[in-house]
Amino acid sequence: MTRVLVTHADEPIGRRVVKRLFHDPRVDAIFAVGDGPTPRSFDRYLAGSAPAVSYARVDLAKHRAASDLFHSAAFRSAEIDTVVHVPRHGSAPEAPAPLVAGLSERTAETRLVVQHCLEAGSVCQLVALGSAFVYKLQPGNANRFTEDSQLDLDPDVSAEIRSWIDADMIVHGEVHNERLRVVLLRAPTVVAAGGYAYMNPALPVAKPSARALGFDPICAVISDKDVARAVQAAVFARRSGIYNVAGREAVPLSVLARWTGRRAPPVPHPLLGWAAAGARLFGFGAEAVPFRGPALRYGFTLDTRRAERELDFRPGDRIGLAREGDGSLRLETASTL
Amino acid sequence: MSESPLQAIPGGSKRIEDGSPVFQLDRNPFLDNGLPDPLERRLDELERRGPAKLRAVRSAAPARPEPLRRAVPPRPRTTPALSEIELGEQRGLLDRLLPERARRALASIAHLVEGESPYDRFGFSPDVARRAMPWFHALYQYYFRVESHGHEHLPEQGRAVLAANHAGLLPFDGAMTIVDILLHSDPPRLARAIVDRWAGELPFVNVFYARVGQVIGTRENFADLLDDDQLVLVFPEGIDGIRKTVTHRYRLQNFRVGFVEQALRAGAPIVPMAIIGSDDQTPILYDLKPLAKALGLPVAPITPTFPWLGPLGLLPYPVRYKIVYGEPLAYHERFGAEGADDARLVQYLTRQVRRAVQQLVDRNRA
Repeated sequence: MTRVLVTHADEPIGRRVVKRLFHDPRVDAIFAVGDGPTPRSFDRYLAGSAPAVSYARVDLAKHRAASDLFHSAAFRSAEIDTVVHVPRHGSAPEAPAPLVAGLSERTAETRLVVQHCLEAGSVCQLVALGSAFVYKLQPGNANRFTEDSQLDLDPDVSAEIRSWIDADMIVHGEVHNERLRVVLLRAPTVVAAGGYAYMNPALPVAKPSARALGFDPICAVISDKDVARAVQAAVFARRSGIYNVAGREAVPLSVLARWTGRRAPPVPHPLLGWAAAGARLFGFGAEAVPFRGPALRYGFTLDTRRAERELDFRPGDRIGLAREGDGSLRLETASTL
Repeated sequence: MSESPLQAIPGGSKRIEDGSPVFQLDRNPFLDNGLPDPLERRLDELERRGPAKLRAVRSAAPARPEPLRRAVPPRPRTTPALSEIELGEQRGLLDRLLPERARRALASIAHLVEGESPYDRFGFSPDVARRAMPWFHALYQYYFRVESHGHEHLPEQGRAVLAANHAGLLPFDGAMTIVDILLHSDPPRLARAIVDRWAGELPFVNVFYARVGQVIGTRENFADLLDDDQLVLVFPEGIDGIRKTVTHRYRLQNFRVGFVEQALRAGAPIVPMAIIGSDDQTPILYDLKPLAKALGLPVAPITPTFPWLGPLGLLPYPVRYKIVYGEPLAYHERFGAEGADDARLVQYLTRQVRRAVQQLVDRNRA
């Protein structure tokens, strides 16, 4: 039986992962942690008998808090053998973002989680969720990225992408660890029923967004349920490695913005650069200006054959628009399994 | 022997003392001179010896990792035949102007994307293509008055690479070829044209190209298209083709070799084809290369109408197009996927394809 710790379990993908694992008979106990209060949806898990679910409020970006968690009596008595690290994705960090040793919050918490997984004797597996926006997007890039495609190591890359790349490389560094099995899942834009989109820098959670005029890149998408399925497959595949995971659909950014109800007006791309420079000049934070990285202009999809072959993961959801009772259209995910 | 008028030049070729032929400068060295090709003779000899020895000779090349892709038999056809397509309501004026066959072919586009998704992963949208196609059909029928032959050489299903000559500044040759194939294949097939990488940087153009089924020319994209059993249209001359001046009309520039390598690896036949007319649609008198370089453009042309008439000067003349498809070259059957690792062989086969295209062009210009 497997005993799992899930980080950022209070955020949308984390909640979905907990739900998926809760219904898996191979899971014995789930230790969920998050920044916020206990999600309401956890009430039925917490009240249930098996598997045992517990929730703790921990800020994993802080060294002391992370250390206290991994050295707590509750963690040790739970005998956690698998850690599922879902980085922050569903909420904007409190401004200003807390920095640990000069690292972004996402990088800092990933570093601490990996470090404590290596130190904790009981943990033998780490499954980390990463972003596929770490790949280098440039004019004429291949439409489909494999796991071996080049990462974007441009020093001018945006802070959002930089944090995903740093987190990716921290996990990547331990993929060949002999004691700890490490799985890194690179997911594209994650969408959820009701019109939610996560992990797409061009469609941030709490920030104005814009599109580059004259460009409409194709975006690979995956449903939150399929991400949870991929995490479940990774937990029980008993392998190490890096895997791209994506759904069947790929849609242009404009369609994705429309489906998720975002206002992303097309703006000439140079204007976004000037807006960023103006925001810096007048002392506004990076949150005040829209994202202006290459993801606005160059699209990609993912080669998921390795995940199909080695993790036996296949997306089970179709993503599209559905008409609600009041006649309005909204994004919906429907299982085909 | 070729029927090219070039061959009628007296003394077109002569022999030096050791008996090997020498070509005059005004003669196209890629035309078939009727003499056995020494490399071809050598390849025949290697082939007779068997694959093991063939591999042994090629072992001088550095070992490569095993390719992920394998040549696989074509998948069952999913696009319905023209007769099976049900025609819906005629939506607009352009739809009403189209002949029934063209309307059926357009209706079939919806079947080209697998599943229910409105886009394929390259960004192709059947809906956008369906709306754009009547305009291109009008150009095909009334502006360029396209005449085409050799459709029997187009495979009804499965992967194939179409290699054509390229000219004319704006890629109407590609557009007319795609319309021609769509109209003359049954079940209708949409050729996916490979476009140069810089097209991906052009605002609006990149979106339009993607929505109507064109794909940026990277090795991975090419391989993916062939893996999907698509008909891939390439212009191996690349940018050099569209910026050739009027004095180089219908003389093929050097071919890139990548398409032959991909065809061998994927087990796809290469269909040579000639497009007559595109070289005359926008005659380039001079290419201001330093200006093009300074502006980051592939070409800065001076034509009889550009830049004198502004952007309108780039519009093609209403020349008559002729599209001819040649016999497929099944190199993959002869050399297999391993042939793609032999750089010398790939270069040789590229020259053979170039020669086949040049012969088609020369034969059909008259």
